[in-house]
Amino acid sequence: MSEAIEKTTLIGKSITKPDAPDKSNGRTRYINDMVLPRMLVAKIKRSDRAHAKVLSIDTSKAAAVPGIQAIVTADDTPMVGVGVTKDNPPLKKDIVLSMRDELVAVAGETEEAVDKALALIEIEYEDLPAIFDPAEALEEGAHQMHDDKPGNLSLGYQTVHGDIKQAEKNSDHVLDEVYDVHYVTHVCMGPGCVIADFDTHGKLTMYTQTQYPYNYKMDLAPSLGMHPGDIRVIQPPVGGAFGSKLDVYPFEPIAVFLAKKTRRPVKLFFSREEEFSASPTRQPARFHIRAGVKNDGTLTFRDVDALLNNGSHTSWGATTPFVMMRTFTGHFRVPDVEFRSRAAYTNMPYAGSFRGYGNVQATYVTATVMDKLAEAVNMDPISFRLMNAQKAGEVTPQNSKLEECFLGECIETVAEKTNFLEQYNAFKAEQDSPGRYKKGIGIATSFHNAGGAKIHKSDGCGTVIMLDDYARATVITGASEIGQGIDAVLTQIVAEELGIPTESITLVNNDSAIGPWDVGVHASRTTFIAGNSAKRAARKARDQILDAAAQRSNVAAEELDLRGGSVVQNDNGVPVMKIDSLLRKMHFAGEDAELVITHDYYEPPSEPEGDNHVGDISAAYSHGAYVAEVTVDTWTGVVKLNKMTAVQDVGRVVNKLGIEGQMEGGIAFGIGYGLTEEMIIEDGEVKNPNFRDYKVMTAPEAPELEFHFIENDDPDGPFGAKGIAELPTIIPAPAIANAVYNAIGIRFNNPPLTPEKVARAIVEKQAAKVAAE
Amino acid sequence: MMIEYEEYLAATSVAEATQALANGNVTVVAGGTDLMVQTAASGRGVGTTLLNVRRIADLRGVTVDGGRVTIGALTTITDMLTDGVVADTAPVLAETADRFASNQIRNMATVGGNICNASPAGDMIIPLMVLDADVELSSWVDGAVATRTVALNEFFTGPGKSVKTANELLTSVSFNRPAEGFVGQFGKTGPRPALEISMVSVGVGGVASNGSLTNARVVYGAVAPTPIRASKTEAALEGTSLDDASIQSVLDVADSEVNPISDVRASDWYRRHLVRVMTQEVLESVANV
Ligand SMILES: Cc1cc2nc3c(=O)[nH]c(=O)nc-3n(C[C@H](O)[C@H](O)[C@H](O)COP(=O)(O)OP(=O)(O)OC[C@H]3O[C@@H](n4cnc5c(N)ncnc54)[C@H](O)[C@@H]3O)c2cc1C
Repeated sequence: MSEAIEKTTLIGKSITKPDAPDKSNGRTRYINDMVLPRMLVAKIKRSDRAHAKVLSIDTSKAAAVPGIQAIVTADDTPMVGVGVTKDNPPLKKDIVLSMRDELVAVAGETEEAVDKALALIEIEYEDLPAIFDPAEALEEGAHQMHDDKPGNLSLGYQTVHGDIKQAEKNSDHVLDEVYDVHYVTHVCMGPGCVIADFDTHGKLTMYTQTQYPYNYKMDLAPSLGMHPGDIRVIQPPVGGAFGSKLDVYPFEPIAVFLAKKTRRPVKLFFSREEEFSASPTRQPARFHIRAGVKNDGTLTFRDVDALLNNGSHTSWGATTPFVMMRTFTGHFRVPDVEFRSRAAYTNMPYAGSFRGYGNVQATYVTATVMDKLAEAVNMDPISFRLMNAQKAGEVTPQNSKLEECFLGECIETVAEKTNFLEQYNAFKAEQDSPGRYKKGIGIATSFHNAGGAKIHKSDGCGTVIMLDDYARATVITGASEIGQGIDAVLTQIVAEELGIPTESITLVNNDSAIGPWDVGVHASRTTFIAGNSAKRAARKARDQILDAAAQRSNVAAEELDLRGGSVVQNDNGVPVMKIDSLLRKMHFAGEDAELVITHDYYEPPSEPEGDNHVGDISAAYSHGAYVAEVTVDTWTGVVKLNKMTAVQDVGRVVNKLGIEGQMEGGIAFGIGYGLTEEMIIEDGEVKNPNFRDYKVMTAPEAPELEFHFIENDDPDGPFGAKGIAELPTIIPAPAIANAVYNAIGIRFNNPPLTPEKVARAIVEKQAAKVAAE
Repeated sequence: MMIEYEEYLAATSVAEATQALANGNVTVVAGGTDLMVQTAASGRGVGTTLLNVRRIADLRGVTVDGGRVTIGALTTITDMLTDGVVADTAPVLAETADRFASNQIRNMATVGGNICNASPAGDMIIPLMVLDADVELSSWVDGAVATRTVALNEFFTGPGKSVKTANELLTSVSFNRPAEGFVGQFGKTGPRPALEISMVSVGVGGVASNGSLTNARVVYGAVAPTPIRASKTEAALEGTSLDDASIQSVLDVADSEVNPISDVRASDWYRRHLVRVMTQEVLESVANV
């Protein structure tokens, strides 16, 4: 006990996710693999009409199939809606509003029996006129989708700052454009799945993929006529969520209806086709943007009208303008800004929350508009952005306080690392010269909340830490793990505080009856919020251990530190005692027995929005600047992304491996959004509900990736860290679009830039050129 | 959806397999890479008996006998990529295999399955048609295996349809060893470089000399209900020196000969556009041989 122990840190090191070995060995037992004794399997019969009266439902033949235990329709349910505005009854009665609408559900002993029964259900419809376009839905006399939603209006948002009319008069150039952004979906590897299980007291256990276990109970209970306190939520490992599990969707209460009726556990799961066609999408939108600039390059105003296709019912998609508007009003210094949005009910699929939450759409617009404005005033894309970038201490019109602001540093760094201007000018000069392959380079930037987002009563998270007699720590956190890596980050943070190895830590976060409250995995908040809570709980445990050590040695607590499993002297690292033996002494001390069990609830110092959507909703914000380098095949229209260089303000890297994984995965989503992914929906029907026709990027297309993290400790972040995981999804698509413009001189206001779209635009441009000559 | 077969058979000889087929209502499975996906999605092609033919060892492998190259129906796409006879006699088949699906699929997928699936986008069919291949169909007739030979060019009758009857097993595909100086090219496209069903595929072959092709073959996939031989394009190409102007006029002929549809993967406009640019690409590379 005399060898000195040096002070080292785990922060910034690469830690393997605790669940990674099992996942890569195929040992993880996902919810989809779970089987409970006496469990039934269940599936849903959905509408095959986009809009129709349901005249009759005949389930008699289905009920006669051997092995069928229960069939439910709306008549068996309280008809209380789920979803953000509770407009979505789990099973529909009389009218269907979309192809995904749930009409009947069947539970049986085997999947085969259930499939047979589903095929034997007879439904008579009378078609009603369907509306697929949101503008049409808002027209006078359009068919009303919901009795209590006059004019088919779902949610609307508006924020107004300054005087855009005056600002327009002061502008030298005004851009006036329309963008149409498309439907994409999360493509979770693990399709939707839930298991509902009642005990004899009528208490319900839900095994679910949810990413917000606590408010989930509150949102689910009314549709069941239950008290939220009678629901226990267990979260087995999930194959991805990405925002798609942030709401209650009809299949979940439906499983409960069947479990209640049969008094047996019921597992309801989606086929891959259902995962594509019946899970939430990213919110599509049509933006009308007007933006002004002075000849000297100063931005003057932005005026944005957003029309959202709400689809048949309402989930988080309709609320994404909440995030869109922060970017439209607050990304770059724009003195006068207005944003208005309306979401209109149609007979289309509905959108949920999705990594990037509205900012993917808003950034596609703002980042390409910035390029266009730079060109209008004959400035290069870098200087133009730099002169309009906010600096530390500036406040956006909606009151996002940019106390620290590294936007300029991000832009400068990415421009330097990619030799941007030299390449940009060279490619631009080559645009009209002969040659099949054209190269291009483009930049895009954005900003996002990086310290949570106060949109609920609390944006907090709780942690309990328990140390046992062997100095092993159990960390019970409210934060859910949906693949994002909070397990590794919290392990690291607690190990750092307590001076014990990461292997000595067990994380428990999958049971609402055990873990303290958390608002859920969203808004890039978990490392910041759960990290702070875990750090503070660990700090309390540390203080308790140091106090006990001080009592049992003649060294003051302030002069002690925890390192390598020992209590050591702070100045020279000389060990005083082992932590585990100290814990045993504390525990087995008769009436003075003392256990180390601490807890903390962390509420970030942010404020909810007030009137006009003004409020400093996040405890931190962060910026990123990405550069895409592409080659366009002008014959086939194929855009090859050669390289993506990402520079991002991250506060402080906690888990290096984790942050790189989040960047890579996020960028993959962003590339798909920009280049290949698109749900093709005709007359309300998803036409490509499979991996063959819905084009997710595959490994050979993955570009070279280069990351540069701008590290400056955030004053409120755990060890200085900020939330990072949405910007990588948000920024790539417009960077690619700007690079394509640099290559071929064509703008696309309607992602994705599919080969066909690009080829057609090239052919049209050539034809126009020929016509002009 | 789950599919239930009543019976499963694993034949080890052509005789055994064709006898089973003669009993009727049989679904043949080779690699299963089309069949599994189709039955899961639509229940297509389901009989009461599932007949696995993968254990018929005789039907796997490539042989050359005199001037004739024969590829067993169960030869996998991976085999095509690595086989010495293929590399020696018809490297275009290996090039096509290199553009086919992914390693995992190639290990399972068979040449016979690719042909019998009769997709207008079946990749291996294209270079085989360029090579004027014939298929051998076997059936059980009067207590013995009987065979007939059909030109691959005449095999397909529509999407998923061919002249093969329900009681016939495709046993091999064969072609004459290409003449000295023969060049064959295959091209396909889709938004992804790998794991992609062809939006359009093109195969061109012929004996190249002095920048022109003789005995020219032009085959297109995914532009009509079946893979097609473009005979007018072949005629336009025959012996023509491949300079820019003549390539353009060949492309006009090709355009007049294809009849693509619009679907979720591409519009007819884009497929026509691809026919032009991919044919141009292939012809330019042939011209440089
Ligand atoms: C992910 C994925 C990627 C793919 N990529 C490509 C691609 O790039 N290019 C391409 O062309 N295809 C592709 N395919 C389709 C498929 O792999 C090929 O068509 C393959 O060659 C089929 O061969 P198989 O042995 O698997 O056929 P199977 O699925 O076993 O059979 C296909 C059909 O042919 C019948 N059949 C098979 N063998 C015989 C026989 N000897 N006699 C009589 N009938 C028979 C079966 O009954 C069935 O109807 C892909 C498929 C998947 C799943």
